Amino acid sequence: MSSPFSINGGACVAMVGKDCVAIACDLRLGLQALTVSNNFPKVFQYGEHVFLGLTGLATDVATVSDLFRYKVNMYRLREERAIAPRTFANLVSSSLYERRFGPYFVSPVVAGLDPKTGEPFICGFDSIGCIDFAKDFIVSGTASDQLFGMCESLWEPNLPAEDLFETISQALLNAVDRDALSGWGAHVYIIEKDKVTKRLLKGRQD
Amino acid sequence: MPGFDFSNYNRNAALHARGVPLPKATSTGTTIVGCIYDGGVVIAADTRATSGPIVADKNCEKLHYISPNIWCAGAGTAADTEFTTALISSQLELHSLSTGRKPRVVTCMTLLKQHLFRYQGYIGAYLVVAGVDPTGTHLFTVHAHGSTDKLPYVTMGSGSLAAMSVFETQWRPNLTQEDAVKLCSDAILSGIFNDLGSGSNVDVAIITKEKTTLKRNYIKPNERTQKLKSYKFARGTTNVLNEKIIHKADLGNFVTVEEISVTGPGDKMEVDA
Amino acid sequence: MEVLLGITGKDFTLIAASKAAMRGATVLKASDDKTRHLNKHTLMAFSGEAGDTVQFAEYIQANAQLYSMRNETDLSPSALANFVRGELASSLRSRKPYNVNLLLGGVDPITHKPSLYWLDYLASLASLPYAAHGYAQYYCLSILDKHHHPDITLHQGIKILNMCTDELKRRLPIDFKGMTVKAVTKDGIIDIEFDDDKVVKSA
Repeated sequence: MSSPFSINGGACVAMVGKDCVAIACDLRLGLQALTVSNNFPKVFQYGEHVFLGLTGLATDVATVSDLFRYKVNMYRLREERAIAPRTFANLVSSSLYERRFGPYFVSPVVAGLDPKTGEPFICGFDSIGCIDFAKDFIVSGTASDQLFGMCESLWEPNLPAEDLFETISQALLNAVDRDALSGWGAHVYIIEKDKVTKRLLKGRQD
Repeated sequence: MPGFDFSNYNRNAALHARGVPLPKATSTGTTIVGCIYDGGVVIAADTRATSGPIVADKNCEKLHYISPNIWCAGAGTAADTEFTTALISSQLELHSLSTGRKPRVVTCMTLLKQHLFRYQGYIGAYLVVAGVDPTGTHLFTVHAHGSTDKLPYVTMGSGSLAAMSVFETQWRPNLTQEDAVKLCSDAILSGIFNDLGSGSNVDVAIITKEKTTLKRNYIKPNERTQKLKSYKFARGTTNVLNEKIIHKADLGNFVTVEEISVTGPGDKMEVDA
Repeated sequence: MEVLLGITGKDFTLIAASKAAMRGATVLKASDDKTRHLNKHTLMAFSGEAGDTVQFAEYIQANAQLYSMRNETDLSPSALANFVRGELASSLRSRKPYNVNLLLGGVDPITHKPSLYWLDYLASLASLPYAAHGYAQYYCLSILDKHHHPDITLHQGIKILNMCTDELKRRLPIDFKGMTVKAVTKDGIIDIEFDDDKVVKSA
């Protein structure tokens, strides 16, 4: 049996732009080489400007996304305010580290804007909750090696929302074309202070 | 510590028994060092985090705050160094609040070694503990299995051999602060360039009786040069099949994007849908 | 060699399951029903380890019915699918997990929209227009890719199902003893007459 991180396949990437952030995922769900669904999004929204991308074992993607929906709802009820991306990142980190010796097989990515300052925020995690704070981009999933290469060459600082969309889309699309386990369409979220744009991309169906 | 949740352990052990490899944790391949000088102590670290052969983070922070006068450099499993130092930092803060005394480096080192020994090396944290307290200047190393050392200069991590070679050739007694900072950063640079697990920048922390100075990215010998050309795509390059814009005005307090299409009444189970 | 198939259409969801109950190379029964009615408009088909399957399916069935009695309203297919996923996911983390693969078909009692959920023993959940479990996936998904359309009628759905079962008869090395076929519509779950005696010549 192969690694639980590569049974179902999938890719996710987040990028920082000028006063905006972007997060994108592919849509494939597979069982090894067999594709089961081409409509399995891996990016979830937890507030106006808080997004979580989850790649890895599909059952844990579902379990973890549900778990954080519960935790974020409880946070809002207790605190009577929405959760900030940085707070959410720490919640993700400690929740994963709690299972240090029996982890969920997921590689999460958080993207959002600070609710007060509007400052862009992205970070990534390993499956036991070590946070990777990055100022540029975060990648995860079975196409992460390809995404590292794409992002390292395509990303540049201070991209406006429209250009950031093209950059993240091309980075993801071209990375998943070189990964047999990812692809089959993509979702891209562009998060700005006053609006969120969700786009469905045309991707190869092979 | 409230404790770990082992509820996935049996599932994962069963998977592992069927030949599934364990997940790759981010590790700080790492060169970390520490050196005592007359009047204080210096610790330093590189800033590369790796996941297998992949550089996961090019500028991570390996110098962890314990208390204002005690800092810790961490190597090994990144999540373990992060959470172990945070845990001990919290215990030490509560301890100093209840005793009304400044925390001591030996106390910190003892708490760390007892915690790590309890977990028999499964918490993969390798630490350099340094600080100045009312009893003087101290420098320790703590290994994941719980053993500790007390030395005038120390190195740890995959780059420890490269760094130690610098100490063994250049260290002498009665260093000044400038000498110690130079020695430590040279040791880290040796790790950065000679060890594949270490790289990027040098972080330095100088702890004296009076204050602690954290010099984040003290030396940046590997700065990325500006790209000669822009790889920006023309707007409209990407083929979009569907677009949905949600303005903040209509956003309200949704948990999910307004995707749930319920035409009739009822069936709204989500709290904020 | 158990076969589970599910197809949605304009106003229905078709669920089909092989009739053979097998143990090793022996067929113990040729009229097994691998489906359970969860409520008026939701049907679940199951395959997997003997014992686990019926135990788990009837546990879910009992809970779905208990909910209906307590609340005087049925859970929707999507709510049931997520409930089943939760139960399977927590079972997965226990000492002896259920080894069950499921298809959950239904028609929403309010919107009348048909739906089909695919769940495997790892509790991966996917909502799909058509689905299969086991070896049937390899033979039937390509046929469904080619012939399925979201607006097909029940009649057309059964025709496509026949193409699938023909291919299975042609390719599978063991006789699966025909199919139990049921359709979920807005009016409830109906049994579909299915010709199991049709002989398909191999190539």
